[in-house]
Amino acid sequence: MGSEAASEPLLRLRGVTKLYEAGAGRVVGLSDVDLEIGAGEFVAVMGPSGSGKSTLMNILGCLDVPTSGTYEIKGKSVAGLSPDRLSELRNREIGFVFQVFHLLPRHTALRNVELPLIYAGVPREERARRALEELRAVGLEDRKEHLTNELSGGQKQRVAIARALVNKPSLLLADEPTGNLDTRSGDELMEILAGLNASGVTVVLVTHDPAIARRAHRTVYIVDGKLVSVERFREIRG
Amino acid sequence: MTRIDFVEVAFDSLRINRLRSALTMLGVIIGVAAVILLVALGQGTKNYVEEQFAGLGSNILIVTPGKIETKGGPPIIGSVRHKLTLNDSRILEKKGYLFAGVAPVVFGTAEVRYQNRSRNVSILGVTPAFQEVRNLHVEIGSFLGEADVDARRRVCVLGRTVKRELFGNANALGQTVKVAGTLFRVVGIMEKKGISLGIDIDDLVFVPVRTAQELFDIDGLFEILVSVRNKNDLNSGKELATSLLKRAHNRNEDFTITNQAAILSSLYTILDTLTYVLGGIAAISLLVGGIGIMNIMLVTVKERTNEIGIRKAVGARNRDILLQFLFESTALATAGGIVGILAGVAGAYALRLLVPKLPVSIPAWSILLSFTFSVFVGVFFGVYPAKKAASLNPIEALRYE
Ligand SMILES: Nc1ncnc2c1ncn2[C@@H]1O[C@H](COP(=O)(O)OP(=O)(O)OP(=O)(O)O)[C@@H](O)[C@H]1O
Ligand SMILES: [Mg+2]
Repeated sequence: MGSEAASEPLLRLRGVTKLYEAGAGRVVGLSDVDLEIGAGEFVAVMGPSGSGKSTLMNILGCLDVPTSGTYEIKGKSVAGLSPDRLSELRNREIGFVFQVFHLLPRHTALRNVELPLIYAGVPREERARRALEELRAVGLEDRKEHLTNELSGGQKQRVAIARALVNKPSLLLADEPTGNLDTRSGDELMEILAGLNASGVTVVLVTHDPAIARRAHRTVYIVDGKLVSVERFREIRG
Repeated sequence: MTRIDFVEVAFDSLRINRLRSALTMLGVIIGVAAVILLVALGQGTKNYVEEQFAGLGSNILIVTPGKIETKGGPPIIGSVRHKLTLNDSRILEKKGYLFAGVAPVVFGTAEVRYQNRSRNVSILGVTPAFQEVRNLHVEIGSFLGEADVDARRRVCVLGRTVKRELFGNANALGQTVKVAGTLFRVVGIMEKKGISLGIDIDDLVFVPVRTAQELFDIDGLFEILVSVRNKNDLNSGKELATSLLKRAHNRNEDFTITNQAAILSSLYTILDTLTYVLGGIAAISLLVGGIGIMNIMLVTVKERTNEIGIRKAVGARNRDILLQFLFESTALATAGGIVGILAGVAGAYALRLLVPKLPVSIPAWSILLSFTFSVFVGVFFGVYPAKKAASLNPIEALRYE
């Protein structure tokens, strides 16, 4: 597949390295990663635990910056952007589903989904309407007034997905969104993501499940912070 | 730039953390209430003193016989070589072009009797000028006239209390009472005046000054009250009275002239200072309340690091976070200020009920000042924590647990 691949990729990483200064010393998060993702692509990211998948997603989502190397969106480097410009970019263009949800505790599900719209300056009524629509899409309309700490893991994950989608992003980054869902809910979610992708949204998805990865246009494999070929990946996996 | 509903966001989080919000407000509430209550107390003390001196007039000179020596101490009756006389009073009246009124006063106590009821009261021997000078007036009948003074008539005017005690509700006008065993006809009843300088004005009996001298068998005066036409002439009036009386007393300054206003104004200055000092002490507690807000807001920023990370991850700019936190602290301080004002006012009213003698009053400036100050405290002490929150890096904030 990958028929939509254009001459200019949507996202381009060049020699991206991310080093963490941890208490015990330096930890390599990513090491010399080159990656291009075209507009409208559906990419799965696989790799063992601690291999750097979340690190990659954070950089793609403009939450973190590389230690070295460049990251370009539509040919423009994000390194020069101010924190506020990055916030606006995240708000308008990027939907992020975190591995650990990151919902506001003691706020209702609806309020959480509304959050990106608040910072987009959407008027109150429209905000509530769109957030409710998004909750309905993930099947949680009846939980809208529930506080997020009263929800199950799977429900939290779906709220997080609704929040990522509410501002109609052109890039969706999902860090193991099916991890807490049963097979049926997982399938339903994949339907949603596939439909989204069909409507033109670029999707990058982290998963451990090869069955899910198969639904993507392409899968990138990451081991110890490095991108590897599928053969090398199978070799390591045994 | 889009406008963010940071007010809604801030209220949301204040509502969610009700207890913490309330505790944060407490410092400001106590501070503001203290300012209002203490200032009201100071003002009440001032009012009390003012009330005591009220009616005395701020344009009055009091001439008393005898000279207060530099050694100090009040003039002792026995040491008076030259008394003050009605002649002195007449000289001041004739030649004192600066004076509005000159009122000679004789003072004594006597038993006043009507039928089988009697009462020991203070007797004031006065002239008609007394009314204007002391601003005391009759309610029923008439005051003592010039003719009553000149002819030493045995007529009297009763204070309200005396009238009530001797006559009850019955008509007193035209009746005769016995003052120190002598018959006096009642010609007037004074209007109700209350206590001034510890003297119950309503418990006095007024008689013509010459009649009083005869009654108490004296030829001097207790004092001469002089009212000056123009307040600004108090000092020159004092000089004028001094020179007139010295000439009449063979160049001896054997009398004392007191300027009541001067004493009062320095007393008021002290009381004003007291009010400000009390207000200042309370303001310090308000400041402490402000630091409390900053303290809690700093803890809040730490505690809510993850929340800040989430907000930034979904698109909050630095300014959005800054305004949210600034608004939270300002809202807390403002709400604390309002509750504090209510508490302070309620406290002042309670104090008024408990101590009716103290006319506690709340000056508008204390409410305005403490309110403005509490809002200022919220903004000022909110800025630092808010800046701290706004400057957090999103990914580090997200990782913070
Ligand atoms: N903030 C950090 N400080 C120090 N080291 C970090 C930090 N974040 C990640 N790392 C390290 O970087 C490496 C990559 O971590 P990352 O979270 O990207 O892994 P992952 O592939 O998402 O793993 P998992 O599948 O378990 O979520 C790990 O060795 C991790 O310990
Ligand atoms: Mg991860």
